[in-house]
Amino acid sequence: MRQNFLLLIQLLFLLPLNNAFSQEKTPVKFGKITPLDFDLTKQPFDTSANAVVIADIGVSSFEGNSKGWFTLVHKRQKRIKILNRNGFDAANAEIMLYSKGSEEERLENLKATTYNLEGDKVIETKLDNSGVFKEKISKNHLLKKFTLPAVKEGSIIEYSYTLTSDFLFNLQPWSFQGEYPCLWSEYEVDMPQFFNYTFIAQGYIPFYINKASSSFANYRVQVPGGTSSNENYSINANVTRKRWVMKDVPALKEENFTSTIGNHVAKIEFQLSQYLFPNSPVKDIMGNWFTATEEMLKLEEFGQPLEKENNWLNDDLREILSNTKSSLDKAKKIFSFIRDNFTCTDHSDVYLNNSLKTIFKNKNGSVADLNLLLIAMLRHENIQAVPLLLSTRDHGFASELYPLIGRFNYVVAMATIDTVNYYLDASRPLGFGKLAADCYNGVARIISNHPFPIYLEADSVKEQKITSVIIVNNDKGQLDGAYQSALGPLESFALRSQIKSKGEDAYFKKLKAASSLDMDIVTEGIDSLKRFDDPLQIHYDFTIKGADEDIVYFNPMMGEGYKDNLFKAAERKYPVEMPYTFDETFILNMETPKNYVIDELPKSARVEFNGGEGLFEYLVGKNGSTGFQIRSRIVMKKANFLPEDYNSLRDFFGYIVKKHGEQIVFKKKS
Amino acid sequence: MKLLLILLLNGIAMSQAFAGEGDYAVSKIPAPLLVNANAVKRYEDIRFEVSDLEKARYFRKVAYTILNEKGDKFAQCLQHYDKLQTVESIEGRVYDETGKKIKSLRNADISDLSGTEGGSLADDNRIKFHNFYHKAYPYTVEYEVELKFNYTMFYPGWIPLEDENLSMESGKISVILPEGINFRYKAFNYPQEPVVTSQKSSKIYTWELKNLAAVEYESASPYWYEITPVICMGPVEFAVEGYKGNMASWQDFGKFVYALKAGKDQLPENIKKTVHELTDEVADPRRKVDILYNFLQANSRYISVQLGIGGWQPFDAKYVATNRYGDCKALTNYMYSLLKEAGIKSYYTLVKAGQGKTFFISSFPSSQFTHAILSVPMQKDTIWLECTSQTLPAGYLSGFTSDRYALMVDEEGGTLVKTPRYGMNDNLQIRKIKAEINPEGQLTTDVVTVYKARQQDELHSLIKGYSKEKVSEHLKDEIDLPNYDVVSFHYKEDPSPLPSITEDLKITSNNYAQVTGKRLFVCPNLLSKNHSKLSSDSTRKYDIDLTYAYTDIDTVEIKIPAGYIPEAIPKNININGSFGNYVSSVVVSNDRIMYYRSMERFAGRFSAKKYDELVNFNNQIYRADNSKLVFVKKE
Repeated sequence: MRQNFLLLIQLLFLLPLNNAFSQEKTPVKFGKITPLDFDLTKQPFDTSANAVVIADIGVSSFEGNSKGWFTLVHKRQKRIKILNRNGFDAANAEIMLYSKGSEEERLENLKATTYNLEGDKVIETKLDNSGVFKEKISKNHLLKKFTLPAVKEGSIIEYSYTLTSDFLFNLQPWSFQGEYPCLWSEYEVDMPQFFNYTFIAQGYIPFYINKASSSFANYRVQVPGGTSSNENYSINANVTRKRWVMKDVPALKEENFTSTIGNHVAKIEFQLSQYLFPNSPVKDIMGNWFTATEEMLKLEEFGQPLEKENNWLNDDLREILSNTKSSLDKAKKIFSFIRDNFTCTDHSDVYLNNSLKTIFKNKNGSVADLNLLLIAMLRHENIQAVPLLLSTRDHGFASELYPLIGRFNYVVAMATIDTVNYYLDASRPLGFGKLAADCYNGVARIISNHPFPIYLEADSVKEQKITSVIIVNNDKGQLDGAYQSALGPLESFALRSQIKSKGEDAYFKKLKAASSLDMDIVTEGIDSLKRFDDPLQIHYDFTIKGADEDIVYFNPMMGEGYKDNLFKAAERKYPVEMPYTFDETFILNMETPKNYVIDELPKSARVEFNGGEGLFEYLVGKNGSTGFQIRSRIVMKKANFLPEDYNSLRDFFGYIVKKHGEQIVFKKKS
Repeated sequence: MKLLLILLLNGIAMSQAFAGEGDYAVSKIPAPLLVNANAVKRYEDIRFEVSDLEKARYFRKVAYTILNEKGDKFAQCLQHYDKLQTVESIEGRVYDETGKKIKSLRNADISDLSGTEGGSLADDNRIKFHNFYHKAYPYTVEYEVELKFNYTMFYPGWIPLEDENLSMESGKISVILPEGINFRYKAFNYPQEPVVTSQKSSKIYTWELKNLAAVEYESASPYWYEITPVICMGPVEFAVEGYKGNMASWQDFGKFVYALKAGKDQLPENIKKTVHELTDEVADPRRKVDILYNFLQANSRYISVQLGIGGWQPFDAKYVATNRYGDCKALTNYMYSLLKEAGIKSYYTLVKAGQGKTFFISSFPSSQFTHAILSVPMQKDTIWLECTSQTLPAGYLSGFTSDRYALMVDEEGGTLVKTPRYGMNDNLQIRKIKAEINPEGQLTTDVVTVYKARQQDELHSLIKGYSKEKVSEHLKDEIDLPNYDVVSFHYKEDPSPLPSITEDLKITSNNYAQVTGKRLFVCPNLLSKNHSKLSSDSTRKYDIDLTYAYTDIDTVEIKIPAGYIPEAIPKNININGSFGNYVSSVVVSNDRIMYYRSMERFAGRFSAKKYDELVNFNNQIYRADNSKLVFVKKE
């Protein structure tokens, strides 16, 4: 579905729309505000918004520079009306600037003005230069920040600036959609014929204008001569002007069970793909997956250290592996060595930050550091292992078609042992061959001479959980019970993290507090807490204190049932993206309390959702002469659903909540 | 200076001698220090050397043995710095269980991060951060940090046990003062006076402690300084960026605060004119305050710019008038200036802000404040103004600044006062519910609730801070009912010094009542359930300190489908205890359930022995709140 959608947008780019509107001019003249401009009553936008973007206009173009190359020039103009005090934040702006060595991005010609309508006069207040602040975020990133002066409810604010960049890979992307509704969002890119960029667009909102036109331009480039004189070049080129406009764009809205809202926002991004200079052969920059991976493999911060012998590992690996023989056992030992002895300091990274040797010595590093070291150690033992690049769910989808390394943020190892592939992530407390739920986010890519895509779909992850409770009469007139729950690998992972930070005691303390029954919990425990390869097993025994009521009402789900609907919101705009599919079973086997008889049992039920994509069974049966069994099973065979399915999904879980709330009624024998 | 250097070198030589091979061996930790501990502070040495009023140096050497994963938070070095307080050096080492050094910190591994928080436009807060990320427990980290102070407004304090589940083997703090400079201190849970020694013309004050056992967390416990040793220190005279001050008393400190803002109350002519236009014709001073506060709220917003002395000094009134923004100090000073122009005297007032209890030592004058508000004395009472809010009614402070000490400042200096306290009879939630249940168990209900004072704080932020659409989303997501929909909602505000909001909700909830074969289960407490059970704690050590008193009253009438007769009705409950009063009663007449619930929660200080009573009180209410009526179909 997603891929088809991207394809559709790309087709739209290939076939410029020549509709009647395509000549339409930008509806705003910046710097000129009349009292009439304050009246937006005729504009169609959600009036409950706190601010509205009247126009957001960007133009990117290229200029020859004096460093012997080209500079990207991005001009931005934005006009916003603040509708109420909750929209004051729209008057705060931040611009991130990147620099590396002598190459940099600069913020120039920043102008910002607030317009207030006082009586029938428009009063202007300009931003003073001293009101622009900078914050150093990292070695390469500087954040410029400002806020507009004299803002009040009803103000119109305008700001414009030019962002010049020596980094041709950083052709500014454009989001047509943001926190506030936008009446007119326009982006124009003037692209000389000697640069070729690939456009990548996404979202659900159609373009109002999508048009290309041609013109002719001259670029002057000065090559610094060092000690000799500078050389000047003049290049004539055809320029293609692309213009995209969206009109009346609604505000972006966050919803539950979305991988990331970033996957759904209407935006367009660019990727430098080719140089096509006159009289020179075409130079492929982005290339294809083969050239891109080849480059990654040559990089000192990625593939190159993996190709080496890494003999410095000899002694340590001998010690780690001692007498291990089989490749699989060796792989497991190396994997757990890194997992158990190293700390991951950054879970979003694809490049090495240090030499493998330093990482090994420091015992900490990013997910890339740890998993690339893992690969080097596996290869040292002649175990076939390659890096697998992926993008975690909160980072958005990666591109299958284009070799866009920036769209990945995570590296794991793929080891092949006896023709079986294992995905290994030593950066987190996971079992051998297991990935965390956030890694299942669509296409991943092997970085090797055979750069195949690997599909890690949430729909393919099956999480199984079985909980069983047995309750019998003891000789003191009370009920004794035993609880046991075997979790799936993903829930195990989540619970291990929770117990790591809060402790096992806190877990059971909370459990005791949450129980609505008057009961004592004893011999509680969690098995396999440190055995990451095994799922967790939670178990405890309990005694329910005897009650002397004539009628006893008892919820057989023992607090394990769904008390709330997972899907509370009444409507849905985006697809539902759950992290995995699941199969949860709960079984209660219970003896009827001594001196009581069952007066009422819930009824059995079986509900299917969307022709078998979901299943809920609630089975009630007699168990011998004195007991009964309640068995609840919920199966979700799919993790992703379209917005159209939302209401039935909500009803499905609503029904589960209802059944799980039902009670058993025991009556005292008369 | 030379002498100082020698002293410093000596210091390092000595400390290295201490951390010799095996000194940090885990086996050397006395057994009582391992009880309830995730980490043991093995050694701490803090020295604060004052050169003059504008220069001081701070040294800290500390070693923690980390016993398990939960102790990892002590294993990092996180040092804030800014223009007034710079980092000279950081050294660090990590040792294994036997006390053998594994490795030392490399300067390249220290990260330099921005310390600017989300809500701030500009400040100079930065952070140096380092972590060995060692994983083989137990292990020991040792850090040595040296800072240069370009001011003496703050002296370091000492909290030997910084947190729960941390014990300390040995630690000390010393202050080294040149002749002619005095300081002040106050020690809590420290049995004697500091040891005072002399070195040439300097005086050295030293506090030292050994073998402090770990403290276990207890909810609603008193201030930390009431439980464990805390040494507070502060200057008498001090200087910061050319401003001199004195902290010997709250009055003196107030003089300094006042001096920083002196002359910053000049309004531009157009604003002066507006002030007179708005207030000259108004006789009642209280009205004038209201009008000008509304003017402030309509013409300003909160933007924080705090660089250097800007952390304590407000921007002048002109700056706020032009930009229509400022931080708490600037906006408070602006409001002060507006009132002054209207002939009303007000007081710039400092407070330590935050919901609930905030750590504040009233008996030790020092710069403990984080926020500025304005107090305006009237003939009989005082109007309190929170100048960073565009929505609070004049005179109401909310849980952010109410019920605590504050420093009122004028040309005479500072006076420590208390901000208003909102009690059990102010913080109200009065709810009336009319509901009907249909034969399928669906609930249709009309809920009218009046929230008052602190009970309306959260709702106030919601309805004032978000669009109607967001409020609707919130309501449809946050109410504790199964499968429900909010059909309509309406809010009516009564802004006053004790504000209230009346909420009118129409809600439907499918399956609210469970209908089985022949029975109907209904929980009559629709929306005011107590959700948490407390576990009893026979070893409760510390007093119980509760700060929030409130009253909730629910009156509910539910019509049920015809043809059912009651089988089980929850017993009426009436508790009068140390922690509050609770009443719940249910009456069924024909097809109607009448439910009444009243909860009065007291605030105050209670002895640790009463903890079981609190548990009992809470759990009885929990049970009563969640109990259901059961009806059976008439045969």
